[in-house]
Amino acid sequence: MTNRKTSQLRFNRRLGILLISPWIIGLLLFKLLPILASLGISFTNFQLLTPEQTRFTGLENYIRLFHDDAVGYVLFETIALGISTIPLQLAASIFLASLLSNPRLKAGNMMRTLFFLPSIIPGVAIFFMWIGFVDPATGWLNKLILGPLGLNGFNNLYSDGAIALLFSISSLWSVGPGMLIMLGALQGLPPEIQEAARVDGAGPLVRFFYITLPLISPAIFFAIVINMIAIFGGVILLDRGNVFSGSFSPYDGYVTFILFERYDLGYAASLAWFFFIIVMIVVYALFTSARRWVYYPDRDA
Amino acid sequence: MTTKTKRNWLVPHNYLSLKLWETLGSGLFNLFIFLILFVYLFPMLFMVATSLMEGPQLSDRNSPAYPARHTRYEYQGRSYAIYNVPFPNGEIRQLVLVEPGRMSSQFIDPQNPDGGLIPWEGSWRQLKGVYHFYITLDNFTNLFSALPISQMLKNTLIMTIIGEIGVLISSIIVAYGFSRFPLPGGDILFYILIATILIPEKVTLIPTYFFFVRILHWEGTWLPILVPFFFGNAVYIFLLRQNFKSIPKDLDEAAMLDGAGPLRVLLQVILPQSWPTVITVSLLHFFYMWNETRQAALYLSISRDLAPISFGVQSFQSLTPIQNQLQAGALILMIVPVIVLLISQRYFMRDIVVTGMEK
Repeated sequence: MTNRKTSQLRFNRRLGILLISPWIIGLLLFKLLPILASLGISFTNFQLLTPEQTRFTGLENYIRLFHDDAVGYVLFETIALGISTIPLQLAASIFLASLLSNPRLKAGNMMRTLFFLPSIIPGVAIFFMWIGFVDPATGWLNKLILGPLGLNGFNNLYSDGAIALLFSISSLWSVGPGMLIMLGALQGLPPEIQEAARVDGAGPLVRFFYITLPLISPAIFFAIVINMIAIFGGVILLDRGNVFSGSFSPYDGYVTFILFERYDLGYAASLAWFFFIIVMIVVYALFTSARRWVYYPDRDA
Repeated sequence: MTTKTKRNWLVPHNYLSLKLWETLGSGLFNLFIFLILFVYLFPMLFMVATSLMEGPQLSDRNSPAYPARHTRYEYQGRSYAIYNVPFPNGEIRQLVLVEPGRMSSQFIDPQNPDGGLIPWEGSWRQLKGVYHFYITLDNFTNLFSALPISQMLKNTLIMTIIGEIGVLISSIIVAYGFSRFPLPGGDILFYILIATILIPEKVTLIPTYFFFVRILHWEGTWLPILVPFFFGNAVYIFLLRQNFKSIPKDLDEAAMLDGAGPLRVLLQVILPQSWPTVITVSLLHFFYMWNETRQAALYLSISRDLAPISFGVQSFQSLTPIQNQLQAGALILMIVPVIVLLISQRYFMRDIVVTGMEK
């Protein structure tokens, strides 16, 4: 009997490996090997146009990276982008989700779909739309919003301040997945807790900040991770990169520049690896901090 | 239980006012949400309106926001524009500009064209025109003649179908393995799966690009885009695995006792119960493929006739930077995903809400 059970277990284990083998092969071919190859390339002066002159240069690329002013600039920009858009997206998604989970809402599913709609519009279409919308001569921003308000409107579309503002506003248009995560979390909340707090005299704001927010903290954590990956240039759900540069992270854009304008594969690889290490540190810090502020009901009483 | 210390005017005092209060509150709440939605989707309104505009309206600063044409008037065999002309006595008359001049112009009254010329002092360029609603589909016809839209749609469709088949079969099988079978190392493999989502694309890009282009010579084909899908996608595997886990194991054990093999359990027990998630995943992939430009830019820039729709329309920007045509392109590009979302909202929205919750 036990013999049969162990042989059954062994069979199941082999079958399990067999079933997940497509993913394991993909992991090796498209993730692990490229990452290692990338590390290898980062220690060479590999050029796309002259691959035969490639030789080992040690840490030269990494030393060059630390002296490259552009690296510091795009890294700062990426972090600033994260700090300015992630809390904004988070607040917007919680706000929308709490409105859309209200039982008073008419045609709830249709409303949720319409708020989700911008998230599935292809990035190119969104880019055209925003560029047109803010166009100083023909766009509606000056014509219908800034003009009637008496503001003279911005005529310099490409000034840094305008770009930063547009970034933040356009990031609100990809709030869909985050909103759905929050909706799921809010709908999963037991109504008794809210009711009990209400009976005890807690007002809506107190209930929101002291009961709802802690209870949906796992969803907040999940949404932060998703938004962060988007900033860092990972490929996630409904990922479409940034509206204004084609890539969400300025750092990503710099790597693309080195890669496809300079054809300097060795240096690009070292840039990518350097960024990979930073991402891993941030992810590690985030997951470590999660133990302090994310509430898991089944972890302890 | 609670003692009122002050009289609250907002608290209703009888059943009727309670009901009235409820209706009023609901109405205001829905109005508020509708206003937010209007502001949220406002740029889309711009896109639709501009895509239906004619070129001259774009260069006319005084033109209205809706698609319109400057109203004109036939006078002595020639066509003249009509303007709103203010007169010193405060009257504003709609007159036909016949002889524009720098300091003063000559108008006629369209109601009374034989009444002779009406002189007016001032710069006619400051005058606001008279417009009437007018939409044109020229931008779309121009777009279709400038770009092989149907060819690009066909490309995207074929790529989507092949990709869907590959990514669905492989992700379902892998998710089945993750959800139902004991794997060596316990959950470690699953954590690795999650971790791969976090890897920045650029780290793997260089060797992958080199491998596909210089070793396999796949440049100018769909292979570099489609082949990786046949090895599963980490996000889809995660979503499917979460869903498979929520199906009670008793069912597949019962089927196993009846002699069903693992493949039959997957096909006849698990999949029939998880088709909403399968639909969700296939929709996510559909939206992804419709959005795809980055891989296409890497591998398909040398063979334009294989370009998918997003990439094709993106290249359109460098051809005509004219707003109304760009907006028409954006509209063409987004119309299919939008329709698909609206049709499938019943399954898609519900299921993605549930899957998001299970993290």
